[in-house]
Amino acid sequence: MQRLTRTFPFGYRDLLVAWTLRIIRARYKQSVLGGLWAIIQPAATVAIFTIIFTLFIPIDTGNIPYILFSYTAMVPWLLFSSSISDMVDSIVINMHLVTKIYFPREIFVVAAMLARLMDFAIAFGILVLLILFNRAPVNPWGWLSLPVLVVIQLSLSLGLGLFGAALNVFYRDIKHVFTLALQLWFYATPIIYPINLVPTHFHKFYFLNPMAGVIESYRSILLDGALPTSNLLLSAVVSMSILVFGYWFFRRVEHLFADVI
Amino acid sequence: MDPSIVINQVSKKYRIGRGLPGIRTIFKLGNSSNDEKYHWALRDLSFELQPGESLGIIGPNGAGKTTILKLLSKVTYPTKGEIFVNGRYSSLIELGAGFHPELTGRENIYLNGTILGMRRGEIRSRFDQIVDFAGIDKYLDTPVKRYSSGMYARLGFSVAVHVDPEILLVDEVLAVGDVAFRTRCYERMLKLLENGTTLIFVSHNFSAVQRVCSRCLVLYGGKLAFEGNTAEAIAEYSNILRRAAVDSSLTDTQENGGLSKRVMTHGAVIESVQILQDKGQSTLTFSKGDTALVRMNVRFVEAATSPVFACTVRQADGGIVYDFTTHWANLTPPRL
Repeated sequence: MQRLTRTFPFGYRDLLVAWTLRIIRARYKQSVLGGLWAIIQPAATVAIFTIIFTLFIPIDTGNIPYILFSYTAMVPWLLFSSSISDMVDSIVINMHLVTKIYFPREIFVVAAMLARLMDFAIAFGILVLLILFNRAPVNPWGWLSLPVLVVIQLSLSLGLGLFGAALNVFYRDIKHVFTLALQLWFYATPIIYPINLVPTHFHKFYFLNPMAGVIESYRSILLDGALPTSNLLLSAVVSMSILVFGYWFFRRVEHLFADVI
Repeated sequence: MDPSIVINQVSKKYRIGRGLPGIRTIFKLGNSSNDEKYHWALRDLSFELQPGESLGIIGPNGAGKTTILKLLSKVTYPTKGEIFVNGRYSSLIELGAGFHPELTGRENIYLNGTILGMRRGEIRSRFDQIVDFAGIDKYLDTPVKRYSSGMYARLGFSVAVHVDPEILLVDEVLAVGDVAFRTRCYERMLKLLENGTTLIFVSHNFSAVQRVCSRCLVLYGGKLAFEGNTAEAIAEYSNILRRAAVDSSLTDTQENGGLSKRVMTHGAVIESVQILQDKGQSTLTFSKGDTALVRMNVRFVEAATSPVFACTVRQADGGIVYDFTTHWANLTPPRL
């Protein structure tokens, strides 16, 4: 019915970069520790689990120290969970812009995710140092496949983030639903315990959780000097499907945002 | 040459009420169930603008002025009808869109500029002009949360006009600046017009509209009430409000020169108000100690037994300086 034509001889790449930088800069302005928070958060969480699972309820993690075992999983998990929470909120907290000025609304969501990549990079740098310090075996092919893992996990978070951000415009409950779901999801993913503690007959369902395959692959590459695990394929398929669905949903309801918000 | 803007039979309705939208509304595009309440913000509006033309839009609050700008800038979509916008536009619906209070003036120029559609390189090349126009060079590296509201507005306006838009949409945003800055804004708008920019200007400030726009629309209740040259449109706007005042009793009608009328009944229409000097000359300027005579021509539509006439003198900000009614003064107007 409606045809809106206009020449737009300028891409949105610059805006995406500018908006991402805005989030990162604003996050650490007037903060003493600034970027250090990117390390403090996973380090503190890992510290408490290390105390519990080495002193109180010892868990066998082979010849890998528990602290390294859980930090390896915590860093990608925090990228996953914090980026999703930020994305779900991203449209609503910018409602004054959504109702006043047009640019593709995906930018809010994607930028919220990219801004968390910064924290991930810092925390991952520390992880690399720990691994080198611990003299874990290094498989160059494994390390080269790390970007694939990041892409799979980002597709999954972006898919969920787009879906959640769009729905949160209509029902603010969604934000709380996602917070709760991420809390539960944390325990359904092998972060603080090794996969061999999960009964084998559960595995069929367990690996339907795409994050399980992703986290296992991070460990396999970084700690065992191996390649990604075979479950990663299922993770990739599920993640891509969720991304396609999330983006489809977002595009479908995007035009209602300014009127409803 | 192709027109810059074509609006063809455009209507826009909004859902009113506080209820949450149904799942059905979200999934079925616009095919809404009948039990929800709607308000038509615009009805069957059509107009066309050629490149380099300027159009003023005036009308009371809620007439649909801002809705037009939002439709043109693609923030929202029409319920019915078609909109064509040809060319790069910049909208001044909000000054300093996306400014983050914690970021410096410099960082916010890049941020706001990219939001308005400029590339980084373009902003860099116009950076000095932007800063110069806004007059904030000393505060460039200060977070904008420390800016005065005037500085904030100047910076926002400056970025927006340096987008070098083919189409510029300006809402009532210039009210914040001081007189000198507003004058520069109008000059800048006129200069953009000379260079072929198409301009849509929404304002309550008639003299500003008259200064910038040759053509003008009057909107009333979401409908086009008048279209023509600006002077006629402003005159027509007063007439429309006067007629509306008869329909809905409590509407102030704005007159040129600050004289307004309010009719509290459907039974009468105030045709004109004049303030006269002793000698009977109509004027709006009085010196201390002068006697002012108020003359009203009132047409009674229905018979009235004891009409009361009132007069209030207000300051520009609405504060009452003096008021009286014929009732307080114990005057009995002639029986009608």
